[in-house]
Amino acid sequence: MRLAFVGKGGAGKSSIAGTLARLLGGSGEPVLALDSDPMPGLAFSLGVERDDAGIPDEALEEIFENGRTMYRLRSGLTSEEAVTRYAAMGPDGIRFLQLGKARGARGENARSQQAFLHLVKGLPHDSWHLVGDLPGGTRQPFFGWGRYARTVVVVVEPTPASLLSARRLARLADTAPAPRVVAVANKTRAAGDVALVARKSGLTVVGDIPFDPGLATADRLGTAPVDHDDQSPAVGAVNDLLATLLKEEEVRT
Amino acid sequence: MKVAVVGKGGSGKTTTSAVLARALARRGLKTIALDCDTNPNLGLSLGVGDEETGRLVAVRQAVDTGEEEHAADFSDLITRFGVDAPDGVRLAVVSAIENPEPGCPCCGISPEQLLERLDSTDGVVVADFEAGLGTVIRMGSNPIDVIIVVTEPTSKSLEVARRAVTLVQQEKLGRLVIAANRVRDDADLDRIRAALPDLDLVVIPDEPEIVNAERLGESPLDSAPLSPGVRALVGLADNVVQR
Repeated sequence: MRLAFVGKGGAGKSSIAGTLARLLGGSGEPVLALDSDPMPGLAFSLGVERDDAGIPDEALEEIFENGRTMYRLRSGLTSEEAVTRYAAMGPDGIRFLQLGKARGARGENARSQQAFLHLVKGLPHDSWHLVGDLPGGTRQPFFGWGRYARTVVVVVEPTPASLLSARRLARLADTAPAPRVVAVANKTRAAGDVALVARKSGLTVVGDIPFDPGLATADRLGTAPVDHDDQSPAVGAVNDLLATLLKEEEVRT
Repeated sequence: MKVAVVGKGGSGKTTTSAVLARALARRGLKTIALDCDTNPNLGLSLGVGDEETGRLVAVRQAVDTGEEEHAADFSDLITRFGVDAPDGVRLAVVSAIENPEPGCPCCGISPEQLLERLDSTDGVVVADFEAGLGTVIRMGSNPIDVIIVVTEPTSKSLEVARRAVTLVQQEKLGRLVIAANRVRDDADLDRIRAALPDLDLVVIPDEPEIVNAERLGESPLDSAPLSPGVRALVGLADNVVQR
């Protein structure tokens, strides 16, 4: 599977992506979790020790392309080797790679960000399940950071602001090369919430994650939802979402 | 006076900006609310409604696709891409459009540049920034009056707030006020104080009425003006104008 999660800031992208990655990893599958949001998030939800480094300079080389200096993995270093060497190890056997965080007033992030894109592009399709957390909002998600995705998952709360963002994202995702765009209704509180998300976003809703106070507590403690309470309603619902996505994948391939 | 509202996505920036703008306007200040988010929703929280919020964005997009004329100057921009919101607040959607024309005041200019150049001597401008730190980083070293960092007591939100505070202090971008949002108990407040020590802090209690207003797409200032959460947000206006 190659999934990319998008949505309004605070909709719950990282929590769902992180939990899904852990559950998939726990079933014995090889999972590479990708955080391309320059703001911290996914590491907390995965339960991976936080690390701001991104891909180190020693793994990069400078090339001159179309009149610009660009960075990519140095020659001889394959994407798979780079994952083995530089992706952080997480619980349940998952590996975790991040874009490189926004640092300082004039943060020099371009190198590790370009290398990140180059690495992901070079991964063979059968090597890892990719679970990616894209930046919040509507401006950044389709800069190219989600090109690996075969399915874009729009995380939507049943609020007008989140639904408005979901409509904008659905339109944008339609123009991106991802073959399938679906929605997950998050923090649902009432019976009609899933239907509302489906109607207002115009997307197929593949998951219904109920509002779960346990998740708010996990967020406060900086603990992964699965480590905080793996029997909680939200974690159970993410497990159902995973089953649905895996079944769809089987049908398609 | 110029005020920017920054923080992680979903921390409550837009709700804070909206209630603050209206509270300032109610004090008799001529108030402009700038929606600097590229995913603009400030209209909903100000109480201009779903349709009007969508329409403002559509006007901005029409400029982008060449179906509408560009604004001639800043005041034209506020007029053309703006709408009157309750309490006399003027709301304008100013996020940079996708295909800017070089030199054009309405689209070649980024939100932070616009904020720098707008004249606010006879009133107040409240700018709701895009989530994260991009706009703050691009402010360079051009200070404004007040920067409100909105944070929840969660690890993710506090991490973004910490970085924002560092940037603001390094570049001396303005007087910092922390809006400690969705505080449930002392443990929550302790978490925020520990991550952001020695800063001017306004506590906004966790407020079901605000969640409810968000679900309905209404301004919490209209639907629950007397709730503790909304009163705390109104109180933020006192802090902003105090000095």
